[in-house]
Amino acid sequence: MRFLGVRAGPRVLIVLAFWAAAVLRADAPAVYAIRNARIVTVSGPELPKATVVVRDGLIEAVGEDVAVPVDAWPLEGEGLTVYPGLIDGLSTLGITDESALAPAAARPSSRSSVTSSPPGRPAAGPEDRPRTTSWLNAADLVRITDRRLESARSAGFTTAVTFPARGIFAGQGAVINLAAARSGGLVVASPVAQYVSFSSGSFSEFPGSLMGLTSYVRQLLLDAGYYRSAKARYEKNVRDAARPVYDRALEGVLAAPRILLPAQTRTQIARMTHFAAELNVPVVLYGVHDGYRAAGVIAKAGVPVLVSLKWPEKDREADPEDTDSLRVLELRAYASSTPHALAAAGVKFGFYSGGIERPGDILRNVRRAVDAGLDRAAAVRALTLSTAEIFGVADRLGSIERGKIANLLVTRGDLFEERMKVEYVLIDGVKYLPLPEAPPREERQ
Amino acid sequence: MKRLCGLLAAALPVLAGAGDTFLLRNVAVHTVTKGDIANGAVYVRDGKIAAVGARLNLPKGVRVIDGAGQHLWPGLIDSGTSLGLNEIRSIRESADLSEIGDYNPQLRTLVAINPASDHIPVARANGIAAAITLPEGGVLAGQAALVHLDGWTWEEMDIARAAALHLRFPVLSTRPSSRFSRETSRGTPYTDARREYRRKLQALEDFFEQARRYRKAKVANAPGFKPDVRLEAMLPVLEGTVPVLVTASRERAIRDALEFAEKEKIRIILAAAEDAARLAPELKAKNIPVILGPTFRLPREEDDPYDAPFTLPAEMHKAGVKFAFASFSNQFARNLPYQAANAVAFGLPYEEAIKAVTINPAEIWGVADRLGSIEEGKWATLIVTDGDPLETRTQIKRMFIKGRAVDLDNKHKRLYEKYLARP
Amino acid sequence: MRPRWFAIFCAAAASAAPVTLIRDATVLTVTKGAGKGSVLIQDGRIAALGPNLAAPAGAVVVEAAGMYLMPGIIDCHSHIAADSINESSVSVSSMVSVEDVLDPEDIAIYRALAGGVTTANILHGSANAIGGKCVVIKMRRGKPAAELLFEGARPGIKFALGENPKRRGSPSSTNPGDAAVLRYPATRMGVEDVIRQAFTEARIYQAQWQAYRSGRSAVAPRRDLKLEPLVEVLEGKRLVHAHCYRQDEILMLLRVADEFGFKIRTLQHVLEGYKVAREIAAHGAGASTFSDWWAYKIEAYDAIPYNAAIMHRKGVLVSINSDSAEVMRHLNTEAAKTMKYGGLSEEEALALITVNPARQLMIDDQVGSIEPGKAADLVLYDRHPLSNYAKVQKVFIDGQLYFDRQKDLEQRAARQARKQALLDREKQQARPSAPQTRPR
Repeated sequence: MRFLGVRAGPRVLIVLAFWAAAVLRADAPAVYAIRNARIVTVSGPELPKATVVVRDGLIEAVGEDVAVPVDAWPLEGEGLTVYPGLIDGLSTLGITDESALAPAAARPSSRSSVTSSPPGRPAAGPEDRPRTTSWLNAADLVRITDRRLESARSAGFTTAVTFPARGIFAGQGAVINLAAARSGGLVVASPVAQYVSFSSGSFSEFPGSLMGLTSYVRQLLLDAGYYRSAKARYEKNVRDAARPVYDRALEGVLAAPRILLPAQTRTQIARMTHFAAELNVPVVLYGVHDGYRAAGVIAKAGVPVLVSLKWPEKDREADPEDTDSLRVLELRAYASSTPHALAAAGVKFGFYSGGIERPGDILRNVRRAVDAGLDRAAAVRALTLSTAEIFGVADRLGSIERGKIANLLVTRGDLFEERMKVEYVLIDGVKYLPLPEAPPREERQ
Repeated sequence: MKRLCGLLAAALPVLAGAGDTFLLRNVAVHTVTKGDIANGAVYVRDGKIAAVGARLNLPKGVRVIDGAGQHLWPGLIDSGTSLGLNEIRSIRESADLSEIGDYNPQLRTLVAINPASDHIPVARANGIAAAITLPEGGVLAGQAALVHLDGWTWEEMDIARAAALHLRFPVLSTRPSSRFSRETSRGTPYTDARREYRRKLQALEDFFEQARRYRKAKVANAPGFKPDVRLEAMLPVLEGTVPVLVTASRERAIRDALEFAEKEKIRIILAAAEDAARLAPELKAKNIPVILGPTFRLPREEDDPYDAPFTLPAEMHKAGVKFAFASFSNQFARNLPYQAANAVAFGLPYEEAIKAVTINPAEIWGVADRLGSIEEGKWATLIVTDGDPLETRTQIKRMFIKGRAVDLDNKHKRLYEKYLARP
Repeated sequence: MRPRWFAIFCAAAASAAPVTLIRDATVLTVTKGAGKGSVLIQDGRIAALGPNLAAPAGAVVVEAAGMYLMPGIIDCHSHIAADSINESSVSVSSMVSVEDVLDPEDIAIYRALAGGVTTANILHGSANAIGGKCVVIKMRRGKPAAELLFEGARPGIKFALGENPKRRGSPSSTNPGDAAVLRYPATRMGVEDVIRQAFTEARIYQAQWQAYRSGRSAVAPRRDLKLEPLVEVLEGKRLVHAHCYRQDEILMLLRVADEFGFKIRTLQHVLEGYKVAREIAAHGAGASTFSDWWAYKIEAYDAIPYNAAIMHRKGVLVSINSDSAEVMRHLNTEAAKTMKYGGLSEEEALALITVNPARQLMIDDQVGSIEPGKAADLVLYDRHPLSNYAKVQKVFIDGQLYFDRQKDLEQRAARQARKQALLDREKQQARPSAPQTRPR
């Protein structure tokens, strides 16, 4: 927070930043005009020197010949670039409730506290709905008090798709903005997807294996379909048909328009594209590090994917005597070429932070994909419009177009240059300044 | 009839004189150390080999056994087993392999061998005449014994009751042990694992240091000296009369074990050394023998050549390292010769494979004056086969341990005959 | 889903497999004797075999004088090439399938090839009285999972009797006192009960569907992934492979199957099968056993290496299996043990790992022997495969070369160099400022 001319501890800085943000918001003008800026609209051509006008939270106009309205607060954009606000395609941003978040490190014996099977009795089959909280809705859980919102904003993100992330059917995701006056104001669209993870529990509880997990997902989706038709039958004729027993797990599954399935390696990708074809529900794959070897398979299946930006790295706590296998080395060496391969194969893909701890590393890792051949425009699209399209919110987010939500990122320097600096972001037309880049954690301790 | 002879022989005690004098003739003799005699004879007197040759002149009245079409070899030696110590591994009560505690050099496997174990006749039926029995628990697991696979009691089975002290060299382990735990846990960070490994190495050195001080005190007849069973068992090791069998699989462990041996000035034999090939020149230079086995195992790393375990014996041979084979098992001891044969398929000369189950172990275990080849003066521990003993389809026709015909019947043959005859 | 992949595969195999002549080998056909001769491969199939075959123009010729050619080895009990094997939480886990988790990149596939195995029955584990669904695969290394599937092979299901399925019913194996995690059954009696209960349920489920399909019921029943495979068993569409040891449990299962009117296709391990060989033969079950494992647990204490020979002599269709990624590498010498223990002939011994398991898996019209028209799944050895000195030289599946020892040896250095280059590159890139990848 250099502009204050104060060197303070990070905690103090964060508090100050909150205060600053609150102050800015209170005084925020309803109309901004950023002029003389390079504007990357994503949906249309890039404009080297143009103006974008934002009014009442929406983009009112964008173009080279757009005049600055008289009531607008002018922002000089000379030397700056305006992008649509970046979207983190899969996160838990805004959710602070521990019970909805995946444990940091699974232990073999740890059993999720969130399970619908009776306490003390391990789940004995799909009917017990093990480790399922499909009814949880991120929109109900997000809080503006989550400090991670601000760090994400500082890295250029204005939007995230956020999910409860604990269990197999963890719950429904929402598209949220990363700032609002009240928690409810964060939500842009909900529910947008059901988050499915293949987290292993214990041997003694169903499902206790990858086979069991797959089978469980399959049975629950079959059950959901059956439940839907049973409900329809009943509604048609309440006097003759049997009333279906209310099942919140199935209600939760039916509520979401698509499901997210994990697939990291080529084998998993092939497996999940087959599975997607069988399930009769729109599917989005996430992870996809090995996608550089499976782009064709994904393209053929017509499934969109979310690529984790947390590229695999050498385990620093591994024994130096253990050499990783060629397969592992190749995955580490080439994972970041996945986006390029996907783009070349015509696959729709977005990015997500994948648990990167320091938001600053997110763009650094996108740069690695660019270094590995990904076109810069395609990289921006993957961070904005593609993700909006994947989650069905491209009508309101993801590009700089008239009528879309005024979520903008303003940088000094190109997004993929090492020395790029986030100047500020606009969220719902409100301006937010970034935190200074936090020093590495080790140095702080 | 043959079976009856076998049964009668079995009824005689090992050290009796009457049954252990005979002439085996008209047989292909494979001495292992002195070449082959296509049609030879061996004269056994009082349990020892008295003469070997193409034609032997013998006193009258000696029992003659005709070996037409058959082959005579030294009895095979398995250099690492749990025979007699472990009947059914999953039944804790039937296993006497692992004692509580890390330092138990005083434990002796010999006294826990069950001579009536069903495993012993099963191994014998495939030509295994002698075996090392290995204790398994802790760091210093106890004393391995070399035994005859026949005898009414363990005393009668005894060849060398302290053939070696078994040191299970500490392992630096970061990887979770099982496939499932790999999925769910990340294992131990290297720095922590290394600290723990160093702590264990230090403890091992401390124990040797303690033993050395004990010895000094004892030799000096120091006032207040008190005998200690554990440390007493270390004296033959420190004096070099008993070697240390060091189990160390990976390169680092083998390297550290060599360093340890150098520092402690002890005589070691390396066992289960999967990475031994990488250190072969050092093993050769230091004259350290290696117990290999089993060759039937998977390569440890995904990228290792598929045949890495199969070619290890050939590599050791090329480097000039002396080695013997072990099954490291009870139920698979009978497959020892096939492990040796597999090494031949992957480059080990046949003669070397035979040596690795006969004369090499005899030398490594310090009993080459009595076992391991067909030579005058050695015990008549012999097998008669209808072919190559390393080939599966070969049948063992007779076995002699110290000249005494050994019963080749076993539980499996009895059940076979019983149920084949079920109407 | 399968037919689609089948079609793709057939097209690929037909176009890619070269015409090949394997010349002057000792051909061990297993079903039609042995002799010196050549084998011609066309379109992935054995086109002809005989003493004087000429190579068609453009054919690849493999000079095999002094070598031995036999059918690809078939392992009727394997757990390789799968990311998970046991859904051990429940006593009836028929809702899960190995097919869902096939791992075509498992190195064990290559190692199995290097041991002459071309086909394997990939079984679910043995923790459940009724286990998961199983598939038969070919070792088509490099192909995606769906193309490993043995086209046309009937799917299977694993059953398990004895110690394994009752283990979790015993308090000693779990947290003492934590009765909640004890799983029924705890005895062999309970194992029978679980199977009878499950098939009773399956019959009800079957009847519900029959009622719906015949129009007697208007509403389709809820699909139950657990019961569907059991209905398939009742209808003979799914093969039962049952893990078993003791004679009592073997007989029990045969009688339960009789009661519900289905067949046990194979008894797996079946270490006391020799005690009830007559009953097994009468039921028509095959037996797939170890060569010589014994005494590793109490139910294996009466196991004898003569098991295969006795069962074979008493009319049971017998195979030798591995149940191990390691033993799988030398099933040829495992089979040789039946010559030592029980005196089987060479051809009988080889049948135990080729045509017999093919018959057990009902794929003997495709594989298992060297006969014209069958798939060209072949193994070339430098010595007789029943010798301990034999090494696999080449392995063909559908006429394509999947393993070549010479090539393997030649490629080792290049592979190592590739690996070293990646390691060096990583070392170079490692910077102290690189992001921390793992929380402390």
